[in-house]
Amino acid sequence: MKNFNNLEYLVGNNKSVIAQSVSPYDQRVCNFLDDLSSELDKNKEIKKYPDIKTLAFWCRKKNILNLKEKFISDESRIGLGLIFHITPSNIPTNFAYSLIFGLLTGNSNIIKVPSKKFDQVKVICNSINKILKKKKHSLIRKMILIVRYSNNDSYTKKFSSICNARLIWGGDKSINNIRKFFLQERAIDITFADRYSFCVINSSEILKLDHNEIKRLVEKFYNDTYLVDQNACSSPHLIIWLGKKIDKGRKKFWNNLYNHIIKKYNMPSSASMDKYTQLCGNILNLKNLKTEERYDNLIYTVFLKKLDKNLHNLRGKWGFFYEYKTNNINQIKEYINNKYQTLTYFGIDKKLIKNFIIDNKLNGIDRVVPIGQALDISLFWDGYDINKILSRVVDIK
Amino acid sequence: MKDINKLFETNIFSTSRDKKNLLFKKILNKLTFHHYQNSKEYKKLLDFFGYNKKKIRNISEIPFLPARLFKEFELKSISKKKIFKVLLSSGTTGSKPSKIHLDKENAHNQVKILGKIMATILGNKRVPMLIIDQNPKVFDRSVFNARLAAIYGFSLFGKNHTYLLNEQGKINYNLLNNFLKRYGKEKFFIFGFTSIVYENLIQKLSTRLVKSNFRNGILLHGGGWKKMEKIKISNKLFKKKLLNKIKLENIYNYYGLVEQTGSIFVESKKCGYFVTSAFSDILIRDNNFDIQQNGKKGFIQLFSLLPTSYPGHSILTEDIGEIININNCKCGLKEKHFLVHGRTKESEIRGCSDI
Repeated sequence: MKNFNNLEYLVGNNKSVIAQSVSPYDQRVCNFLDDLSSELDKNKEIKKYPDIKTLAFWCRKKNILNLKEKFISDESRIGLGLIFHITPSNIPTNFAYSLIFGLLTGNSNIIKVPSKKFDQVKVICNSINKILKKKKHSLIRKMILIVRYSNNDSYTKKFSSICNARLIWGGDKSINNIRKFFLQERAIDITFADRYSFCVINSSEILKLDHNEIKRLVEKFYNDTYLVDQNACSSPHLIIWLGKKIDKGRKKFWNNLYNHIIKKYNMPSSASMDKYTQLCGNILNLKNLKTEERYDNLIYTVFLKKLDKNLHNLRGKWGFFYEYKTNNINQIKEYINNKYQTLTYFGIDKKLIKNFIIDNKLNGIDRVVPIGQALDISLFWDGYDINKILSRVVDIK
Repeated sequence: MKDINKLFETNIFSTSRDKKNLLFKKILNKLTFHHYQNSKEYKKLLDFFGYNKKKIRNISEIPFLPARLFKEFELKSISKKKIFKVLLSSGTTGSKPSKIHLDKENAHNQVKILGKIMATILGNKRVPMLIIDQNPKVFDRSVFNARLAAIYGFSLFGKNHTYLLNEQGKINYNLLNNFLKRYGKEKFFIFGFTSIVYENLIQKLSTRLVKSNFRNGILLHGGGWKKMEKIKISNKLFKKKLLNKIKLENIYNYYGLVEQTGSIFVESKKCGYFVTSAFSDILIRDNNFDIQQNGKKGFIQLFSLLPTSYPGHSILTEDIGEIININNCKCGLKEKHFLVHGRTKESEIRGCSDI
């Protein structure tokens, strides 16, 4: 095991953080987030990083108040204490959301950021450090430690042994690896594992859209997928088509999407090879393939004639989609398992989807959101109510 | 495949571009149909891509398989009984190797064409050969890979094979001095992987301990420049260092795929570019796989007329290259000239799918 000399402190130091709990949505925390939002907004570099802009917008006063209103609790609640966050290596700003989850629920936080040195991490940590210097945030100063290290189990072991909850964002493999390190007896693990997401579109409604409406829709779909190389856990891999004139509807959808992508997306050349190789592999491996279509190398779609239990293994990246059509959404119920996270939809009554999930007693699908909101993060995530899970009830009678 | 047999008797380099194009197109179309009929997998792919067997296509319209597909699938156009040899490439560490299935005829053709290409730099007679590596007999089984296959493959064109490195991977000065003393006064063949040649002949070799020089040596090296790029050694610098250190001036870099063993590309001494042969051709494709103009970079697509036992006659590689637009090159060859700029960069992916 390596020693402790390659741990980098981005915010705080080895003495600064103590396990301390405050009430969820404590005013001091809300004030800090408000300051952080304006500090990030002020930063000139933010123009280069739309994801930081999104973060600044997300933690602005109004949204935090919004979240606070959704957290209605009759019980007396207080944070669990110290949360250890292991954040995903590929999304530069995710660590900040994880931190905010921890703060809002009234906890101190140790955050492990990706080992890859993203500029965004630097910008955000600099802003945090700047506002933490203010006297009014002296309490918050004791609630944030942000560190960076790579492949060093001894740190993970140490932080795991002192936290009250561990938040692990990552692939199934990494989660199992991290779980080898013991937590205290009463501490809990919350894992954000590999998930599968899909999209349901009503072709009849697509065909009703005018020029501007379809343009807006594909832009939203683009934001759910291409914006993160289709690699976020909530980006759809599979499109289920419902409704009438599906061939016409799909053509309209893909053609419009193509026109948007060609202007917006900067696809690395290796992605072309990845997609083409995956397509050839699918043709050779899958028995249920019907047709394939390509819009240059920007969109690959593979149409399935039948679904099977391994559906959640059909994943695309960089704009590689699987499609299936059915006249009744209930036909897909048997393929849904607990890997399924987000269902994005268009042209369908959300009550119908709710009934589909509840009536069929599905054990998957944690989120149902309109196309365009796949990446919108909230304190309901992966089926967890983070507000409640990271705080404890003080039962007073 | 009578057309190929006829071609075996001709020159290794085409004498006319138009003539080559015509013949090449004809044979490639036949090969495509041959594999379509004999490889279940190849047929499945082509059916999906809407292949029409009646249509004769320009070589740019011939379907291409991604190189990586040979790592994931066993693609062959012969029955199991006919498998004579399986070539493996090591690929990058951790990845599966490519598996290339050869029957006797295909293996024979590879050697024959490789021989013709080698004759252009070594002449028609076998010459003493110094191999900048260990004797493959001491390699452990896990490194049965492209390096080993290449050593065995090229050894056919040399004699009195001498391995520079001992079992510990150190330079054996005794053997080297004996080799140079006995054979160094006349033409001899040196073969090695680029990075291993660099490490041993340029970095480690102590000229103090070498009693003679490499003036009559002809070095053939390949295997890619990835390691060299990291330490900023270009082909030009590589040559300069060898010339300065051991007076070696006949140096040839080669480029080729294990999927198309035999029809390799050897750097022309006169112009420094790789050149195609009568048995090979190249196209460059952009990100959308459209044909790229000469002088512009893109994915290298390679054609070879040799693969008959596996569908490897048209392969899209992950290497980036460019075709050099020159007529009447000083090397005098009517073939296409090109440069290889290394492997396409693996891209950083966004998203939260792994930590």
